[in-house]
Amino acid sequence: MPKAVAYHRPATLEEALTLLADPGRVILGGGTVVNTPGGDLVEVVDLQALGLTRITMDGERARCGAMTTLGHLVDHDGVPSLIRDAARRQSPSALRNQATIGGVIAGADPESVLLGALAVSAATVELTGPAGSEWIGLGDVLAQGTGGRIITAVEFATTGGGVIVATGRTPADTPIVAAVARRDGDAVTIALTGVAGTVVLVDPARLDELDPPGDFRGSAAYRTHLATVLTGRALAEVT
Amino acid sequence: MEVAFKLNDEDRVVECAPHESLRTVLRREGMMSVRYGSDTGETGAAAVLVDRRLVSADVILAAQVGGHAVMTVEALNTGPDLHLIQSAFAATGAMQSGYSTPAMILGALALIERNPDPGEAEIRDMLTGILDRETAYVKPVEAIRRAAAVMRGEHPEPFGPLIVPPLTDGTHPAVLDPDDPPPAGPPSVPRLVPSKDVPDMAVVGKPEVKVDAVKLAKGNPAFTDDIEMRGMLHAKVLYSPHAHARIVGIDDSDAVALEGVHAVLHYKNTARIKYASGGQSYPNPHPHDQVSFDDKVRYVGDRVAAVAAETVEIAEEALSRIRVTYEVLPAVYDERETLLPGAPVVHDEPDTSHIHDRERNIVHHIAARRGDVEAALAGADHVYEQTFRVHQVQQCPIEPHISIAWLDSDERLVVRTATQVPFHTRRMLAPLVEREIKDIRVMKPRIGGGFGAKQEMLIEDIVGHLAIATRRPVRYELTREEEFVSSRTRHPQTITYRTGVSADGTLVAQDMRVIGNTGAYGTHGYTVQTITGLRGLTSYNAPHKRFTCDVVYTNIPVPGAYRGYGAPQGEYALEAHMEDIALDLGMDPIEFRRKNWVKVGDEMDIAPHLGERAVAEEELEEYPKVMSNGIEECVAQGARAIGWHRRNDPAWREPADRPHIRRGLGFAFCMHGTAIPFLDMGGCSIKINDDGTFNVLIGATDLGTGADTVLGQIAAEVLGVPLEDIRIYSSDTDVTPFDTGAYASSTTFISGTAVKLAADEVADRIKDRAAKMLDVDDPTSIDLGKRMAWAKDGSSVSLQDVALHSLHLEDQEQIMGTASYVSPESPPPFAAQFVELEVDVETGQVTVTKLVMAVDCGVAINPITASGQVEGGMLQALGYGHCEEMVLDDEGRTVNPRFGPYWIYRSDDTPETEVYLVQTMEDSGPFGAKAVAEIPKDGVAPAMRNAILNATGVAINDIPFTPERVWHALNG
Repeated sequence: MPKAVAYHRPATLEEALTLLADPGRVILGGGTVVNTPGGDLVEVVDLQALGLTRITMDGERARCGAMTTLGHLVDHDGVPSLIRDAARRQSPSALRNQATIGGVIAGADPESVLLGALAVSAATVELTGPAGSEWIGLGDVLAQGTGGRIITAVEFATTGGGVIVATGRTPADTPIVAAVARRDGDAVTIALTGVAGTVVLVDPARLDELDPPGDFRGSAAYRTHLATVLTGRALAEVT
Repeated sequence: MEVAFKLNDEDRVVECAPHESLRTVLRREGMMSVRYGSDTGETGAAAVLVDRRLVSADVILAAQVGGHAVMTVEALNTGPDLHLIQSAFAATGAMQSGYSTPAMILGALALIERNPDPGEAEIRDMLTGILDRETAYVKPVEAIRRAAAVMRGEHPEPFGPLIVPPLTDGTHPAVLDPDDPPPAGPPSVPRLVPSKDVPDMAVVGKPEVKVDAVKLAKGNPAFTDDIEMRGMLHAKVLYSPHAHARIVGIDDSDAVALEGVHAVLHYKNTARIKYASGGQSYPNPHPHDQVSFDDKVRYVGDRVAAVAAETVEIAEEALSRIRVTYEVLPAVYDERETLLPGAPVVHDEPDTSHIHDRERNIVHHIAARRGDVEAALAGADHVYEQTFRVHQVQQCPIEPHISIAWLDSDERLVVRTATQVPFHTRRMLAPLVEREIKDIRVMKPRIGGGFGAKQEMLIEDIVGHLAIATRRPVRYELTREEEFVSSRTRHPQTITYRTGVSADGTLVAQDMRVIGNTGAYGTHGYTVQTITGLRGLTSYNAPHKRFTCDVVYTNIPVPGAYRGYGAPQGEYALEAHMEDIALDLGMDPIEFRRKNWVKVGDEMDIAPHLGERAVAEEELEEYPKVMSNGIEECVAQGARAIGWHRRNDPAWREPADRPHIRRGLGFAFCMHGTAIPFLDMGGCSIKINDDGTFNVLIGATDLGTGADTVLGQIAAEVLGVPLEDIRIYSSDTDVTPFDTGAYASSTTFISGTAVKLAADEVADRIKDRAAKMLDVDDPTSIDLGKRMAWAKDGSSVSLQDVALHSLHLEDQEQIMGTASYVSPESPPPFAAQFVELEVDVETGQVTVTKLVMAVDCGVAINPITASGQVEGGMLQALGYGHCEEMVLDDEGRTVNPRFGPYWIYRSDDTPETEVYLVQTMEDSGPFGAKAVAEIPKDGVAPAMRNAILNATGVAINDIPFTPERVWHALNG
């Protein structure tokens, strides 16, 4: 376990912001990442008392509090099946009931299928800091971080339909590369995992610009190949 | 800090540190069902319910559950009875070691609460949070399905095997009708193919519930870590960051000075006593190339120093204060490169003897032969040569290694430890801690899986040294990362076959050359490699055979024993090689094998020349022979079950709606051994109690396999009582008779025969007394059954009355029997392994869709536990062939020492499995039994490889079949 030298559970957002003004404090989402071994001595700030767990539907968008667990996303009938499926693939059951959507965004894992699904669903992220709240595009948050602010909510589109096409060692393995595609009317968006430092939205015509990092599960050349194959399939399958 | 929460419906306020996990706090509160599997939460052995949802107590802080309701399985244990879900787990054989069973039961409870009729996909989805290395999830899924049905008020049929009529006469192949479907039934149910040679019995052959079911289902304190010792210290070990280095200095002063530190041990203050850590019979094979703490490290993860401190945290802090000065040396990892001139010498210390060629890193050179291979190859119509590479994987028991040691009131050293070899451990530990064997007691409680990793005296010396140094109890548990890197693994090998075949497909010669990589230390290096040769050259008759092997040192994490023990490597190469020869000859792959495989009466001629007790003579008067062989029935049943006729059907192999998919079917012939002849020995002692029940004491080591149950069934059958009248205790070096331990597929056969012999002795004495009590002249005319002793005239006396009579009334005596057994035989089990899969030819991803194994293990003493062995073994074997691999970087560091990056199959990607138990009568085994534990490890990887070949026309010789490797192969 990390050395959490203090545990805070603020009752209000204001209290949380005050606590987090100290750079030695980190936000505790569900704990599935923060509470694993390694790292520095930290004070953790648990946001569970802030009520950031509601899922609401507003026209063509859904809004989730940042502390919504992936398990609740999976179980929610109003959430699009693409997001639910991606949330299910993201973590095994027990971790899914702890891991939060805010934590997944803050983690910015380049192999996250859920981030891919959010990216193609035009997700925006509410960042709250001492100066107030601001909605930022998911891609900017993944690329630039939260700037020390709290992720308080996430919004994404509920229209259209999508597919996840992936290659892994086994069907449930974290994909080496996954293509997530969503069609909304005539518009199709595609995100790829495992081909860059973050999950990226891609233009199918410009896949040759990718420069993936390689590892033991897939070299750069192989990941580039998968990007092409899986993007093609995702385009064909997303109807 | 204080945390208030509800624990099992009671309000609790606990004092804890902010960083403490819920698992740590729950265990401190006495909830011993919450168990350690990893620090990252994915094993789920510590999964509990928080607000009725399954969460992993590894990665949730205790502080996070403040104000919430936590439930552990202890909440269900309100009385002697099992909860319906617990009962279903017991009835279906869903528990092997039972280490993670409490978590599964809680997950099932929450699932059924939300959905009283969950489908299989939902059940499997719930189980994704709980990794299982033992059951392949087959029977847990069935248990939850049945529990839900019972909770809905339904009454499912009793769980038991599906009887399937034979398809052959046992000798000749069957002609299968493609329109004849296999028998229908749930996959969790073993298909039992009876034999007219096997009599019906009262307890043997029956699907009895495991004798340890109650403690496992309830999560009672039964495992090594489930005791609390007053004043217990915690050990941590400093591991080498370098693959190869000399320790030129070590300064422990800052560590020793740290408050709460009680001992710091390393090479400067620990006696240099040479040993070999493999848990094997006396005398342990040379070389003895280890010491408790050395001044040289030979792999990343090698021991440097050990600390005992008041808490784990203080011990970790102490490790960080030990200053070690290393002289880093060049390292070598590949078994071929270590043989090259200029490679670093891994063992240059002068006090290790018996290294075959120290300068070339060759620890053993093994050679065995029959006939004249070179001459036979020169005269053969066809000669085939192929080289295969098999890689390094880890056993991954969900319970890592853990030991607790203390000095008892007589100041003897007691070690409670997760081991497969308690008696070897006691004997091997004694010299290291400079004590006599009589001053050491080793206790093996329930074990959370071992698979060979625990056939090792691995950490017992560390806790032993520290307990003696501190005079306090000392506990040491490996983390998951340490389990990967610093325990034991499977040997990588480079295997080359040359095979000579006559024009009609008859083998004339097989030459097998192996380079076996034993890593930094010898341990099981000699014997594992001999088993590779034994298994690689015994399946098929060839008049000329030769095995040549160099076992070499490198700087990789140490290989050791892993279920299958050299056979999975050898049979992978063999069955791939045989497939390719058959195809080149234009023969049917099964027909080609059939022409050559060993049949009843055939000699296993290289067997005596290889193994732990190999004989040196070139020619023996007599060679062991195959006396039972059900392979024809296995092939017939397996082929029908997998739909073997489809392998040449283009419409099936190339599905029209999925143009990038190719389907394939693969086969492998499997043959294993049953125990090590003339070596493995098991002892048993049985006594009668006042109520006519029996205590059975055995040295055999049930590590989750169901051995205690099977041995109990054997005793019950002989003594004429139900299994519930047998109380089994295993194993404790102070209390139980000797046993070599749980390895080499020996327990049912060796220890089982010892149980049978001891029970026979007890039965004779019961009959003597019953004859007197019934006024019968001939005690041998008495039969035992239904808890009674019966005379031929129908009169009877209960075993309770016999017991009371003998203990209290007349000519008082303790009716008891003791026996031990060692066998000259090692009757081979046989099996037909089939794999169905899909290859994505554009990406290289292989998806295995079905595994069928039909196995001849003689008489299955318990068909449920036997089929559980096959299911779990097949899934481990699939991981070996498909997705598991330890990956080292250029510095020798393991880059994926955690689940996820190291992928073991999960509940939601496990293929369908079917198990056929083909009964044969093996006269040398107890009630006809042979082994079943290891043969499921032998055939999946080659059958998978052959199925990829069937699907794509591409033969791949190196495992595992990960997507990029397959993609490269498909693209030339």
